[in-house]
Amino acid sequence: MELEQQLVIPRAVDAVWLALNDPNMLQGSLPGCQRFEQVGDNAFDMTVSAKIGPVRATFNGSIALQNLNPPFSYEIAGEGKGGVAGFAKGGAKVSLNAITEAGLPATLLTYSVTATVGGKIAQLGGRLIQGAARKMAQDFFTQFVRRLCDDETLDLVIETIKEP
Amino acid sequence: MSGSLIGKRVLRKEDHRFVSGKGRYTDDIQLVGVTYAAFVRSPYARADIKSFDVSEALAAPGVIAVLTGEEVVKDGLGGLPCGWMIHSKDGSEMRQPHHPVLAADRVNYLGEPVALVIAETQLEAKNAAEMVMVDFEPLTAVVNPATASQAETLYEAVPNNVCYEWELGDEAATDAGLAAAAHITTLQLTNNRLIPNAIEPRAALAEYNSGTDEIILHTTSQNPHLVRLIMTAFVQIAPEHKLRVIAPDVGGGFGSKIFIYSEETALAWAAKKLGLTIKWTAERSESFLTDAHGRDHVSEAQLALSAEGEFLALKVKTIANMGAYLSTFASAVPTYLYGTLLAGQYRTPAIYVEVDSVFTNTAPVDAYRGAGRPEATYLVERIVEKAAAEMGLDPAELRRRNFIGRDQFPYQTPVALEYDTGDYEASLSKALEMADYDTFATRQAEAASRGKLRGIGLSCYIEACGLAPSQVAGALGAGVGLWESGEVRVNPTGSVTVLTGSHSHGQGHETTFAQLVADRLGLPIEDVEVVHGDTGKLDFGLGTYGSRSLAVGGSALSVAADKVVEKGRKIAAHLLRTDVDNIDFDAPVFKMLDSNESKTFQEIAFAAYVNHDYPSDELEPGLAEKAFYDPLNFTYPAGTHICEVEIDPDTGVVEVVQFVAVDDFGTIINPMIVEGQVHGGLAQGIGQALLEQAVYDDTGQLITGSYMDYCMPRADNFPDFKVGMTCTPCTHNPVGAKGCGEAGAIGSPPAVMNAITHALGGIEVDMPATSEKVWRAVQTMRTLKTA
Amino acid sequence: METIELKINGRKRTLHCLPNATLVEVLRDQLHLTGTHVGCDTTQCGACTIHVDGCAVKACTVLAVRSDGSDVMTIEGLAENEASHPMQEAFKACHGLQCGFCTPGMIMSAVDLVNKGCALEPSAIREALSGNICRCTGYQNIVAAVMQGASEMQEQSS
Repeated sequence: MELEQQLVIPRAVDAVWLALNDPNMLQGSLPGCQRFEQVGDNAFDMTVSAKIGPVRATFNGSIALQNLNPPFSYEIAGEGKGGVAGFAKGGAKVSLNAITEAGLPATLLTYSVTATVGGKIAQLGGRLIQGAARKMAQDFFTQFVRRLCDDETLDLVIETIKEP
Repeated sequence: MSGSLIGKRVLRKEDHRFVSGKGRYTDDIQLVGVTYAAFVRSPYARADIKSFDVSEALAAPGVIAVLTGEEVVKDGLGGLPCGWMIHSKDGSEMRQPHHPVLAADRVNYLGEPVALVIAETQLEAKNAAEMVMVDFEPLTAVVNPATASQAETLYEAVPNNVCYEWELGDEAATDAGLAAAAHITTLQLTNNRLIPNAIEPRAALAEYNSGTDEIILHTTSQNPHLVRLIMTAFVQIAPEHKLRVIAPDVGGGFGSKIFIYSEETALAWAAKKLGLTIKWTAERSESFLTDAHGRDHVSEAQLALSAEGEFLALKVKTIANMGAYLSTFASAVPTYLYGTLLAGQYRTPAIYVEVDSVFTNTAPVDAYRGAGRPEATYLVERIVEKAAAEMGLDPAELRRRNFIGRDQFPYQTPVALEYDTGDYEASLSKALEMADYDTFATRQAEAASRGKLRGIGLSCYIEACGLAPSQVAGALGAGVGLWESGEVRVNPTGSVTVLTGSHSHGQGHETTFAQLVADRLGLPIEDVEVVHGDTGKLDFGLGTYGSRSLAVGGSALSVAADKVVEKGRKIAAHLLRTDVDNIDFDAPVFKMLDSNESKTFQEIAFAAYVNHDYPSDELEPGLAEKAFYDPLNFTYPAGTHICEVEIDPDTGVVEVVQFVAVDDFGTIINPMIVEGQVHGGLAQGIGQALLEQAVYDDTGQLITGSYMDYCMPRADNFPDFKVGMTCTPCTHNPVGAKGCGEAGAIGSPPAVMNAITHALGGIEVDMPATSEKVWRAVQTMRTLKTA
Repeated sequence: METIELKINGRKRTLHCLPNATLVEVLRDQLHLTGTHVGCDTTQCGACTIHVDGCAVKACTVLAVRSDGSDVMTIEGLAENEASHPMQEAFKACHGLQCGFCTPGMIMSAVDLVNKGCALEPSAIREALSGNICRCTGYQNIVAAVMQGASEMQEQSS
C-alpha cells in the first residue's frame, strides 16, 4: 500500500527539521511506543504495540533515518516483528518546503508511506492495513506538530494527495 | 427378500447421533491427563531459520515441552513422502524436495510449522507458542506458477522449480489433426486455486502407553491405514504394530483429509517421545494456511474441427502448481487424473497434453473433490462450447455429433483409458428436457424485459472413478495397490458386523453398506452394523477418495457376503446331512433343493459358533469372511449439467436461476444419499465458478485466509437443483456402481461459466466470476456493441 | 477464576471459568457438551450456534462470564423427555445432513428462525440460514428439512 499526504506546519523549515531528528520528539509522537533507544547514528530500536483488525500485537523493531538531505528531506525505513502475529515493514519519505502562512514562515510537510505486513496480521487483517497505516501516520504527525508547537489542541488539516 | 433394499431411500442409520449432538469427532474425545499442543508457524512464505530460542516459552506457565525442527532432525525422522511417482517425458523421475515434519533450517510456505509447544491447557500452549523466538531471515518468494520455472530456484535438487514435465498422447497425430482442421478453437484459462474447507478443522489426539509401547492416534482422516503406513514405514515414528490410528466421526474431507500432514505426525511422535497424551485441533486460520489446497492450473488448448464440426484433435499445455512440497498424492492429480480425461465423452481421435508441474512458495496442492477431473472437464467443456459458438452450431448438437455412441463400448480413448459403458445421449436428452432447453429464448427475452442478461451453458462431463485397478495404477506410478478390503462378520445370534477399509465422513456408508449386505443376506437393515476407521479393528484398507467407496469397498463387501453365503451353505449341508450342492440360499433361508427342509440364517449363524461336531478337516467353525477387491478397470460416471444464469448488468451480480444435473452413476443403492452427494458436489462446483479463490499476494502472504475473505457458498447462493439419473451399470464390478461423490464438483463449473459467457455474448471471464469481473465484462460488451 | 451460574438444558450449574473463556469452551471442555462444534475463529460458520435465553447465538463469540444467569440450551437439550425434536426428525427424514459437523448449529438456527416467525418459504429460509455454513449438502435438503420441521413444530404447538 502507498499513501501520500501533506500538511502545513506553522514553524520554519529549520525548526521542523531539528524536531524530525530529535529522538524524544519521534518517540513522543509515535502511537503505542513503549520503548525507544538510539543504537547508532540515525538508528533506533523500539517496541510498539499496534492493533490491526482483530490482531493486536507488540512489535519489536528498528528504524533507520536514511538519505538525509538537511533540512529538506529524509527517509524513515522500519521493520518490526510481532511474533506469532507476523511482521510489518514500512517506510516513509518526508520532505519539507518553506512557505509563508499568514505572513509568517511555515513549512509544507509531505510524506508518503509504504507498508507491507505478513503472517496472521495479513491473513486476518490484510484488508485493514490501509486504514491502520493511514491512522498511524496521521496520529504521528498530529502529535508531532502539537508537540512542536506546544499546543495540545491544535487542529491539523491533513490533505491526501495519493491513496490507492 | 434379496433385492428389497437396493435402490431404496433408506434413512441414514448414522443420523440420530449427529442430530442429537452425540457424534464423536476427534476434538470431542476427552481423555484424562490430556495436554495440548500449539504449533509455531512461519510468517514468511520463504525464509532461512537462523536460530530457535525456546527459553522464554519453556519458562511460561503450564509449558511441558517445546519441540522444534531441530529435534526432528536429531531424532532422524523421515520426510513426508509423495505416494505416486511420475516420470517426465525424457524418462527422468519427478523431483521431490524433502518435506520435513517440522522445518529446521528453511521454511518454504506461509504457515509451515517449525515448532510445537505442549502445555497443560490449550491457552497456555497458545500463549507460549508466541514466546518461541525463531530468527527468520526472509528470502524472496516464488508465488506465480506461470512464471515459476523462470524464477529463482527454490531447491538445489529441483532445477527451475520443475517437478516434472509430463506428456500423454500422440503429438504428431494431434498436430496432423490441427493441420487438417477447417476450424481451430483456442482457449486460455485458469483453474482457480481452492481451499477445501471441511467444516471440521483437522485435529489429532495422540495417546502413548509406555507399558505397552503403543501409540493410539485419533485423527481426522479419510484413510487411517495409510496414516499408519506412512508414519511407520516412512517417517518411522514407531513400528507399525505399535501404532493404532482411529479416524472417528470425521466432519467432511473432500480430499483434504486423505493426506499425511506435519501436525498429526508431529503429535504422534511427541506423544511417544514425551510419554504424554496430547491434543491439537486446528484453528480455522491454520486450516486455511496448511490444509492442502486444490486445482491451480494455468492452461491453453486448441481444438481442431472439421467443417462439419467433427473433433479432429485436441492439444493442451498446462502448468500445475504443486505448492512448496509434494503432498501425499499431489503428483498424480494433474497427470493421470487429468490428462487421461481429456477425451471427455467424445471420439476425438488425437489428443496430446503436456503438463509442467512446478513448485512455488505456497501451501501444498493436492486432490480436492474431483482432483484433476474437474480441471480436465473444465477445459474440454469450455472449449467445446466455445467452438460451437464460433461455428454457429447449437452446443448440444455439436456434442451429439462427437459423442461416443452407446454401441461403441468398450471404447479405447487416445489418452490411455478404456471406457466400459455409458449412454451420453440419454443423459443429454434428459437434461435438455428437464431444463426446457428448447424454450430458453422465451426466458431470455423475458429476462431482458427486466433488464437482465440471461445465459445458458452445458457441460457433458465424464470422470474416472473407483480408484483403481492396482496393476494399472502401479504401471502408472502409484506406490500402493488400490484395492479395498471388507469383512462380513456374522455374530452367533445372526446379526452382522460389517468392517470396511473405506471411511465415511459424510457419505453415509453406515447406511449404504448396510443396505448392500442386508439385501444380500436377507436381513433387516437394523441387524447390520458397519464399522470403519480403526486400524485396530480391520487388517488394512485404503480409504475413501476418488468416489471409490461403493465401487471398490462395496464390491469387496459384496464378495465377502457371497463368501458368507457359501460358508453358510456348507454349514447348512452339514446340519441337514446333505451335500452342499443340494443347498440353495434363498435369502435369508438356506433350503434343501430336494426336500422342504431348511435352516434360517440365524440358525446357521448360531450353529457356526456353537456346534461341536464339525468335520474339522472340511469345515471350520465360525462365520466371518474377508475379501480384498481389486477392480478390473476404472468406473466412468458421466452426465450432463445445464446451468442458467441471470446477470444484473448494473452490478455484475450473477444469479444461478436454474441448474439441472443428470448423472449416470450405474447401479444406485440409495437414491436419497446419491442425490445428497450430487447437491453437495454442485455447491462446491458452483462455489468454485462464482465465489471461491485462494489468493496469495506477490510475497506469498495468503490474503484470503479467513471466512471474511474466502467466500464460502451459503444457503442463499443457490436455487433448488433439479437432479435426474440415467443408468448404465458398471460392467466390471459386482455392484454395478460407478461412484457419485465427485460428479457435482466436476460437471458444474463449466456449465456455470458457459452460461455466463453466453449471457455476456462470448466475453470470457475466469473463475471465480465475481461481480466485479462480470461488471467489467459487461462494460466491455457494451463498448464492443456500440463500436 | 470467575464463578458463574447458568441454567443449561434445564439444569442449574455453578461453574468456575477464566474471565476470557468463551461460552463454547465452557460447554465443551467443562460440561462435556460436545454437540456444539467450533468450525472457525471469526464467527462466520455457525457450527457453535446455541440458544441463550431463547435466542440463537454463536457461542464462540460470547464470553462465559457474560452469560452469567442465562438460560442456555444446546443441541443436547433440544429434545424434551428423550424424544427427538421435530426439527431433528425432519433433518433425518429429509437427508438434511451428511458429515453432521455443522448439523447441531444448523438445527439450533432452524428452530430459532421458526420461533422468530421467519416466513416459511425457501428463499426466506435460505437467507435466515446464511450465517451457518454447510460444506456437504448444498443446502437444498436442509431447506426442505426446515420447511418440514417448521410445520411439525407449528402442529405440535397448536
